[in-house]
Amino acid sequence: MDFMMHSEQQNQLEPTQAPVERHSHNQWNPYVDNGGTSLIIAGKDFVLVASDARQSVGYNINTRYDPKAYELSNKTVLATSVCSADAKRLCEVLEQRAQLYYHKHERQISTQALAQQLSNTLYSRRMFPYYVFPLLGGIDAEGKGAAYSYDAIGNMERVTYKAFGSASALVQPFLDNQIGMKNQRGAEGERMLTREEALRLAIDSFTGAAERDIYTGDWLDIFIIDAAGVHKETRELKHD
Amino acid sequence: MSIMQFNGSAIVAMVGKDCVAIAADKRLGQRALTVSTDFQKVFPITERTYIGLAGLATDVKTLHDRFRMRVNLYKHREERTIEPKTFAHLVSHMLYERRFGPYFVEPVIAGLDKNNRPFVCNMDLIGCINYTDDFVVAGTADNNLFGMCESLWEPDLGPEELFETISQSLLNAVDRDAMSGWGAVVHIITPDGIIERELKGRMD
Amino acid sequence: MDPITLRLPHTVQRPQELTSYGPTTRTTQPIVTGTSVVAFKYKDGIIMAADCLGSYGSLARFRNEKRLTQVGEKTLLGVSGDISDYQYLQHKLEDMITHEYDMDDGQSLGTKSVYKYLSNIMYGRRNKFDPLWNAYVVGGIDNGEKVLGFVDMYATTYSSDTIATGFGSHLAQPILRRRVEGRTEQITEEEALEILDECMRVLFYRDCRTFNKLRRAKVTAQGVEISEPYSLETNWDFAEDIVGYGA
Repeated sequence: MDFMMHSEQQNQLEPTQAPVERHSHNQWNPYVDNGGTSLIIAGKDFVLVASDARQSVGYNINTRYDPKAYELSNKTVLATSVCSADAKRLCEVLEQRAQLYYHKHERQISTQALAQQLSNTLYSRRMFPYYVFPLLGGIDAEGKGAAYSYDAIGNMERVTYKAFGSASALVQPFLDNQIGMKNQRGAEGERMLTREEALRLAIDSFTGAAERDIYTGDWLDIFIIDAAGVHKETRELKHD
Repeated sequence: MSIMQFNGSAIVAMVGKDCVAIAADKRLGQRALTVSTDFQKVFPITERTYIGLAGLATDVKTLHDRFRMRVNLYKHREERTIEPKTFAHLVSHMLYERRFGPYFVEPVIAGLDKNNRPFVCNMDLIGCINYTDDFVVAGTADNNLFGMCESLWEPDLGPEELFETISQSLLNAVDRDAMSGWGAVVHIITPDGIIERELKGRMD
Repeated sequence: MDPITLRLPHTVQRPQELTSYGPTTRTTQPIVTGTSVVAFKYKDGIIMAADCLGSYGSLARFRNEKRLTQVGEKTLLGVSGDISDYQYLQHKLEDMITHEYDMDDGQSLGTKSVYKYLSNIMYGRRNKFDPLWNAYVVGGIDNGEKVLGFVDMYATTYSSDTIATGFGSHLAQPILRRRVEGRTEQITEEEALEILDECMRVLFYRDCRTFNKLRRAKVTAQGVEISEPYSLETNWDFAEDIVGYGA
């Protein structure tokens, strides 16, 4: 995840220093890692997007509530991670482009089109990337739950579940096991979850992540998107 | 990349009801190149104490030999079997002896003490012990293991439940880590004996 | 011919290669700096404090800097970091306020607008790899709503009931967490001032780039009020008991 860094000098840290990314040569490093984790799960006719709300730099917690998932429209939610400043700008840009589309075509942009737009937006900054790993959730043309995951420069993939951010290594294997049914004998491929199951897995994932990852915690925003629109709930996570 | 990530490994130990489990993957690599898929990382120390050594493979072998020697000396001098907690301190001391030129290993110790109480601990490469009453992890897939264990483990699991929990935790953790996997081995330590099982995992 | 070099305090010496090449220069480090700003919400609005020191490395160079300013009608801006970058920004803000006044539409810029404008400037400069070397705290009342936000040189933004920059994030924030968090609506102005003084006193004791001449300011429904410089009562008796460090 480090774009402008020379890896040799990474491990020269003071004992009390947080493991933040350092720049080796004389240019100022414009990227900050603000921590946090995002998660997406697609169901048959819904999609669940969840993000914790802690914003931190190194060992400092800036604030306990700075949402990383944004409602772009009444049928799409964008969850982000890593650099908060870039994430906020990316959401603004995408919202503007969705509005532009609306005024140009007199209808709301479809989830697929917005997903492609996001990829193009990220790739437009190929040489100075948005330091963001987005997850986009919405409902596709057939009414199915659509989840898209991206890297920072616009590589896009439609997925059924994905975790990004500081606790992604903790959450992703769990989702592989519980939704992808990996290593479960007799199981045939990915499972389609019900809303309740998806919600429970999201909560379990984040309580586990908040236990072991210092950058994840405080509050959890969960969005469930279906044909009726976006339903949001906020839950408490560990505050330590 | 750190020397701790040179060979790749994943080790986990868990506490159950009157039993403990310890499991490890079987890969030996040199960075991204897999050299062997049958490398032992968990070793019996006594009949009911096991140690798992994650980290640099050469140190894993050296330390295993040295532990065997020290445990044998202990047995001759004391005329009794070493307790898991005592053994943990022995390991800790041996590692701290090399404080400024350490063995590059993260040990995980699991066992039942003389009262059949479960004991699990791990330590860093210079012997700082961490005791827990749930689970410990080590190796290149440590974060993945933490995520799995944190959501799958629960208190008072019986031997078979514990086997399933630790196996699922390990297999799913190593599948998201390029440096570990290629099969695994699980040991369940119960008052009645050891259950040892080899797990088939993804070989890619 | 020798290049013209800028003399810098020894604590902020620029690397050789930056002084010996080309005409383009950027802020690669702050020169004259202000330290922490402390701010929080209370019953009547927002309260904020900062000292009057402009440090030149370890030298207490300028002792009458004003680091709290009013922007528009009901917005208060606190700054830490490079003072010259801040003064440049002040001009930009004044331009914006003048422009807004010239519109003559009976509207004035609210706190949220000022905060967004500031954030966008910071983000734009970061994207040019030429940041304004500051951390800003924006406080105010916008349509009856209390607003307290932060933006720094990376354009990291966040809002919170309590905000402290620089050393304040280590020394003042714990005090604010204990005394303010969760009870902003119960804190009277009297208590708010007392909390603020406690924070500034701790900072004065422990942050070496502070100065016992400070200003505090508040934004309420009535508008912005910035105090004249004042000093805190301090007690150095404990210094007698400090043993070690050559004492």
